[in-house]
Amino acid sequence: MSDTFLLIALSTISTGLILGAVFALVAAGVTIVYGCIWLPNASNGQIFLLAALVAWSLTANHDVPSALAICLVLAAGIPVAWAVEAVLIRRFYDVPDRNIAYFVMTLGITQILSGVFSITYGLWSDQFSIPPMIDGITFIGLFPMPNNRILVLAIAAAILAALFALLRKHPYGRALRAVFQNREAAALRGVNVRAIYRLSFILGTLTIFAGGLLFASAYSFDLSAAWTMSVTAFAIMIIGGPGSVLGALVIGMVFGFTQAIVSVFASPTIANFSYLGAMLLILLIKPSGLFSR
Amino acid sequence: MTSRIEPSIWITSLVILVLPFAFGFNRYYAFVLGIALINIVWATGMNLLYGFTGLMPLMFAGVAGISAYAMLNLVMEHGWSFWVASPVAILAGALIGTALGIPALRLRGFYFALCSLVIQAVLTLAFIYFSGLTNGDIGISRIPLPDLGPFKGSVSGVGYEFLLAVFAAAGIIIVSLIMHSQLGRKLISVREDDVLADTLGIDVVRCKLLAFFIGSIFAGVGGVLYAPYVGFVSPRSFDLLVSLNIWLMVAFGGRGTILGPVIGAAILAPIPSLLQELYMIKDMLYGVLIIAVIILMPRGIVGYSFRKTPQAPLATAPHGGAASRP
Repeated sequence: MSDTFLLIALSTISTGLILGAVFALVAAGVTIVYGCIWLPNASNGQIFLLAALVAWSLTANHDVPSALAICLVLAAGIPVAWAVEAVLIRRFYDVPDRNIAYFVMTLGITQILSGVFSITYGLWSDQFSIPPMIDGITFIGLFPMPNNRILVLAIAAAILAALFALLRKHPYGRALRAVFQNREAAALRGVNVRAIYRLSFILGTLTIFAGGLLFASAYSFDLSAAWTMSVTAFAIMIIGGPGSVLGALVIGMVFGFTQAIVSVFASPTIANFSYLGAMLLILLIKPSGLFSR
Repeated sequence: MTSRIEPSIWITSLVILVLPFAFGFNRYYAFVLGIALINIVWATGMNLLYGFTGLMPLMFAGVAGISAYAMLNLVMEHGWSFWVASPVAILAGALIGTALGIPALRLRGFYFALCSLVIQAVLTLAFIYFSGLTNGDIGISRIPLPDLGPFKGSVSGVGYEFLLAVFAAAGIIIVSLIMHSQLGRKLISVREDDVLADTLGIDVVRCKLLAFFIGSIFAGVGGVLYAPYVGFVSPRSFDLLVSLNIWLMVAFGGRGTILGPVIGAAILAPIPSLLQELYMIKDMLYGVLIIAVIILMPRGIVGYSFRKTPQAPLATAPHGGAASRP
């Protein structure tokens, strides 16, 4: 009991917190974009993996320090998201049933990206990891917690807090929430709906990028992470309620801890299975999700 | 309101029946044709659901897999004849497929598509997990060809392709008969607006479930014919990518037209066989095609070339409004 149990408990809590924060970030990115543009991003897992793999390339092949690599990838995300919005996303803004078109389109993007990854990165390695941003270990009682993971957790918490602050306080965030609730009314009040659409797509994509980068700097990963992440993010979005960042945060944390606890006893596949089951249940009982207004 | 089938459908069916003999000189081309014919059966069935009823069944390949595995189990473990096992397996698959369509009674559009994607993911995991029945990821190989009943020997070679052609042609004619019947018109009205259809006295629940039952029969027929023809099945033979590819054939050819999916399957199904060494490229190519179809020709080849007049705009509000109901 005592010491071993405490060690396992602390390690489960730390894994749960980090996984939960990453899940919450990615799901928040997906849910903001869905709530605003009606774009259910089925390729979120591949985008998550794209950020992680590019950061891996920078650190492994070009000896860029991890922290700098992460910043570079995030910065590169802005023009990429902008270009994708201009080429693929914008043309459907006036289509009434666009969510299904977007859904299929992002499934197509998933197919393209997973093909690209498997004939490039898949041939180079099957496990990827990024060197820690900072070294050292802090002891919490007997439990050794790498400083790097503490930093990852702090950054994730900071990004989530910033996201909340942006949505609550900043005029842009308020306009974004106005578009969430009623786009006609928002347009009548002088909100530039198309600009908000573009902003939210870029914001959501960057949030998914951040999730991928933080996950990659805390854990080693392989190419199957993409599919798992896609399923998890969709499950979180549906259960939490599409468009609800609070729902993404709460359910993301619940899923992170579920995964951490289940992994102690059994294979994480069982956790994935339970996400799918929970999503089906919510779809059938309350499709608007638990945290919808 | 004519209930006659267009001549083009009869001509297409006849051409399909002749093709096996035209391609019979070369086993390789004949095999490519056979795969295309199976995909015609699948695409025609999915068209009934996606094109005419407006539901996007991404678990279609999973239903085909249920029928295929059920048939294989009856034939290989219990020694049934292919011709007895297949109808049983197809019926079982169709009943399960109908049950999996129940969420469609509450969900529409994206939400049903997402639900069907989850169901497909669960089915794929189940195919891998129940390895006693499916042999897991290793798959089932050395599948016997369909027997000839009282005669010696089995259906093989051009005979098998002709069998596939018979089912493909029959599938096309059956779907066009359905579409010209009262049921077909009801299905279209359900697609356009199921609330309105309900107020007009159409039994929406019955229509949707019937569409799923018939569509699942097509999935099962394709699955049962696929397994002995290719000689190998694994959970990958019936996964999400297969469902998406069938969807792409329907959308690429032209959803809601009879011949569109046939043309889509005829063009797209041979690609993997022709690009055998580049099978990684195949998935990427299909991904590019999905995006191209959605952006450039949402009505598909047939809808694009033969129906120049724009369809009437939908009755729902242009932004959100009525369409935002899940």
